[in-house]
Amino acid sequence: MTKIVLVDDHRMFRTGVRAELAAGDAPIDVVGEAGDVEEAIAVVEATRPDVVVLDVHLPGGTTRPGGREVLQRCGHLLTADPPVRFLALSVSDAAEDVIAVIRAGARGYVTKSISGPDLARAIGRVAEGDAVFSPRLAGFVLDAFGAGAGEVATVEDELDRLSQREREVMRLIARGYAYKEVAKELFISVKTVETHVSAVLRKLQLSNRYELTRWAADRRLL
Amino acid sequence: MLGGVASGLAGHLGLSVRAMRIAFVLTSFMGGAGLLLYVWLWAFVPSDRGVPSPGIPARPPDGPYPSGRAAGLPGAQVPGRTALRARREGRRSMAADVMFGVGLLCLGLYLLAARAGWSVNPGLVIPLAVVGLGVVVAFSQLDEVERARWVERASVGTQAAVLRLAGGVVLVVVGVLLIVVQGSADLGQLGRTLLASVAVLGGAGLVLAPWGVRLWRDLDAERAARVREAERADIAAHLHDSVLQTLTLIQRRSTDAAEVARLARAQERDLRSWLYGAPPSNVATLSAAVAEAAADAEDLYGAVVEVVTVGDRQLDERGGALVAALREALANAARHAGGTISLYVEAGPDGVEAFVRDRGPGFDIAAVPTDRSGLRESVIARMERHGGSARVVSAPGEGTEVKLFLPDAKPDAKSENKSENKSENKSENKSGTRQATEPDAGPRTEPDVDADAEVA
Repeated sequence: MTKIVLVDDHRMFRTGVRAELAAGDAPIDVVGEAGDVEEAIAVVEATRPDVVVLDVHLPGGTTRPGGREVLQRCGHLLTADPPVRFLALSVSDAAEDVIAVIRAGARGYVTKSISGPDLARAIGRVAEGDAVFSPRLAGFVLDAFGAGAGEVATVEDELDRLSQREREVMRLIARGYAYKEVAKELFISVKTVETHVSAVLRKLQLSNRYELTRWAADRRLL
Repeated sequence: MLGGVASGLAGHLGLSVRAMRIAFVLTSFMGGAGLLLYVWLWAFVPSDRGVPSPGIPARPPDGPYPSGRAAGLPGAQVPGRTALRARREGRRSMAADVMFGVGLLCLGLYLLAARAGWSVNPGLVIPLAVVGLGVVVAFSQLDEVERARWVERASVGTQAAVLRLAGGVVLVVVGVLLIVVQGSADLGQLGRTLLASVAVLGGAGLVLAPWGVRLWRDLDAERAARVREAERADIAAHLHDSVLQTLTLIQRRSTDAAEVARLARAQERDLRSWLYGAPPSNVATLSAAVAEAAADAEDLYGAVVEVVTVGDRQLDERGGALVAALREALANAARHAGGTISLYVEAGPDGVEAFVRDRGPGFDIAAVPTDRSGLRESVIARMERHGGSARVVSAPGEGTEVKLFLPDAKPDAKSENKSENKSENKSENKSGTRQATEPDAGPRTEPDVDADAEVA
């Protein structure tokens, strides 16, 4: 059973997500809810869930977006044992929101238009420590890492470039392929796809690539 | 002539400017009525020009000496006016011009008064003249902006205006001092008087300072409030035009689920681009055209299109052809599949790639080739005409993906693609060969890869 906490400032939305998750047969247990930054931190500290489904724009706190502040102030839980993992869920698909929460440590980013079963799958994936990329996030990664223009890393672990395989995976996700379909298309296992996606997430969080930092600095996110 | 009153009035009444001027001069002799009327009109009739007339600073002779004019002293007026008339069409008149005119005017006044047998005390006239000049200099800047905005602080905005204000104040102070100390050349008294004036001015300044500051703050606050109000009105107008209208429409058509979904989706897209989107640019780019195509597909067919674009470029004729092909592919996907359609467009270094993927039932291309003749004509043929290529990948239960590729224009691009497409045409089912050439990097999770079919 995956324990989750729902953080969103709209009660109606929390109720909706709860109902959709309950309707599916995924083993998900909503152990807490919160409506603002302070409440979210308190609830997460108290319940220590496996996954926090976190809205990006939250009232309260001192910095914006509020979702990032929750991530930053819960930083010690990200590496705790067992760790608390965060999945960002937002109505906004603006690039600055995406990068803000991902760089603060979220394991994935999905928009609120996601279906109930897809959300349940995303939660399950994050709970296992994998990354969740929406097509839009994949598109942003390709853009920011210059992969759309054909730049690829020559060394396996280069932080500022995607490897050829990572680029292929990202392109397929951007085209709307599920992980399973990506695996099938590239003749690799789903586990390998997950490995590639996690590697990309790590680069997204750690890279100092010029476009990323310039872009973030423009919006004073770093 | 001076303030443009005569010409303005002439234009208004449909008479000649010369006639108006003669009338003004004549009536000026009748106890100065014309002159008073002139000044009054000048002060209160709004100018139809944004730029003040270069002749306007000529007003000074009128202002401080209404009584002299009222006495009807044409000899005194004419020299001053003549001096200014010469510069009427010229640049901004300098302080020297004004002073010259005023000097001549004063001289004429003085001579005439002396001839009339009035005993004029030069000790009184000169200080008065100085005070008048000060007032004139300080107030002349008001013409630079609008007379209607006398109290607006914008009138002291420029450096020149500040300089003039200060100069005017100094002149007025000096004139007042001259009047006060007239007759006595006692320097000590002058010093005391100066001190007293400064003390009075300083005291008055101190007393009035809080009021002035408050006035200033009120003005500031009022302006900020106006800006906020304008912003709020902007947002309200946008919400009214978009969201409220859509909500009204949705209520009216609440029985038609598809229509409601379509309206909601269109509104969401609109609001989203308003909130998060980049400001609209006039430059036609590929990504903008793609977004528009997706929006139209959503509006027309009630589909949901998830658009992801990577890179961008100017929209040229060939790009337009690609977008047209995309539109057709989107229409096909919306009609035959429904649900969410994924649209991915990548503008890379070699060309533009586009993918339209749906989650519909899919179809066996070999079994029903004629069903998609629209796709064949408007997508595949169109892409080939522009040196690109198009492929359709589908299998029952797998959804359909249309892949478009438009290489950047190169001399040999066209022939290359043609031959490539021909070869693809020959092998109806290409996935078998592809499978053979690509290394299997991991265990396959789905056994039915062979069902993939491709046509070109």
